[in-house]
Amino acid sequence: MTRDAPLSLEQRIARIEAIVTRLESDRLELEEALSLFEEAIVHVRDAERVLRQTEVRIDRLIAEADGSVTMEPVRDPES
Amino acid sequence: MQDDLFARSGRQPGSGSVRRGPAGWAPGREGPASYPVSAVNAMAKDLLEAGLPMMWVHGEVTGWTRHAKGHCYFTLRDERSQLRAAMFRLEAQRLPADPEEGMKVRALGRVTLYEKRGDFQFVVSALEATQEGGLWRLRFDRLRAKLEAEGLLAPERKRPLPRFPGVVGVVTSPVGAAFQDVLRVIRTRAPWTRVVLSPARVQGDGAALDIARAIHTLARSGLADVVIVGRGGGSVEDLWAFNEEVVARAIAASPVPVISAVGHEVDVTIADLVADLRAATPSSAAERAVPDGATLARELDRSRHRVQTALRRTLATRSTALAGATAELRAAGAAIVYSRRERLVTIANRLDALSPLGALARGFAVPLDADHRILRDVSAFRAGAAFRLRVRDGSVGCRVTDTERAAPSDSP
Repeated sequence: MTRDAPLSLEQRIARIEAIVTRLESDRLELEEALSLFEEAIVHVRDAERVLRQTEVRIDRLIAEADGSVTMEPVRDPES
Repeated sequence: MQDDLFARSGRQPGSGSVRRGPAGWAPGREGPASYPVSAVNAMAKDLLEAGLPMMWVHGEVTGWTRHAKGHCYFTLRDERSQLRAAMFRLEAQRLPADPEEGMKVRALGRVTLYEKRGDFQFVVSALEATQEGGLWRLRFDRLRAKLEAEGLLAPERKRPLPRFPGVVGVVTSPVGAAFQDVLRVIRTRAPWTRVVLSPARVQGDGAALDIARAIHTLARSGLADVVIVGRGGGSVEDLWAFNEEVVARAIAASPVPVISAVGHEVDVTIADLVADLRAATPSSAAERAVPDGATLARELDRSRHRVQTALRRTLATRSTALAGATAELRAAGAAIVYSRRERLVTIANRLDALSPLGALARGFAVPLDADHRILRDVSAFRAGAAFRLRVRDGSVGCRVTDTERAAPSDSP
């Protein structure tokens, strides 16, 4: 498990799926099984926290004359 | 009579008014009247233009040529006659495609005379093919064939969509219904998804270039995991920007998968063909782009149960092995010297300590480092280091104050 940038939802779910597969198919050492279990639970909880978010963040891109790209937030009229 | 003619023409070569004079050509002086060529052509031109209204003419196109300046020249014909025709740049540039040899068309224009050459010709202001789909179809088919030849439409070029995109890029009009439709779906299904709009005009002059630029801008931003390009339904002309080559090439150049969402099912556009996925409407594009939150939540819950079940099974297997070892140990007890038995009991206890569901419930705890590794030896604890103690119903943050190694005989 990395402690660098927070994992994306996609990465978390991929990791959960990999752990489920390993736990279910491999005969693991107890120590490793426990450690994988705990990692999976952390990812499940974090993923669930992401899913609970209710407000869509919207930005609008602006192509600047010098070729760079900037953006400004757009207020979601519905939220 | 002649005077009448000149009076009606109203225009003469070289001057704006009728020139009368003794210079040899004025009628009614010496002998029969004679006119310069330019005057005859001017009179004929005026007669033709005044006598024949603007009209539609249908026939077959032959000898179509487009000059460098953009003017087009061709001949319209039927079984018996031919009519030389010209379509000038301003009108010709509005044509979706140059018609093919022998193509049946109808053209709106006026008959006139090209004075300089004395050519009788039909000056066309609008031209359309009378067959199915017309020139638009022709243009579509030509571009499609070109892109196909380059391999841009090949099925193996289609990229899979990300299952859980963090950011969805949307290229459409900021004021159109399409953007609101996309937002509504994302809000309902996956509100944690970020939306990045790259605005573009989606119809009218310059729309294609605008859409292509917006796709490139999104690519340069590097933000999106998947892109939706589209607009709501409309007429063939309204949707035409999505049939332009610049848009097709921008989609093909996108570093992330593109979902096209142009109008309704019946209108397949070039953008649809180049895109990684074609959706019938902006709403269905958004549905394909993001997962359904409710389904995902159920799947996560299922995963939680599966890892719990799998761990319980592993523990059960290990506990059985442990029980077996303990029984063996007891049976063999008499034959084994005490110190040796002591050591085996220690091993058994250690194994037991690793079984969290049993051992943790009885009050044992397992120290874990930040990576969830079990700290099994004194050497794994550094003075001052933080670790967590896993107990029956959770974990506790701890810090090492001091360590002490047990007598060597206790080590397995």
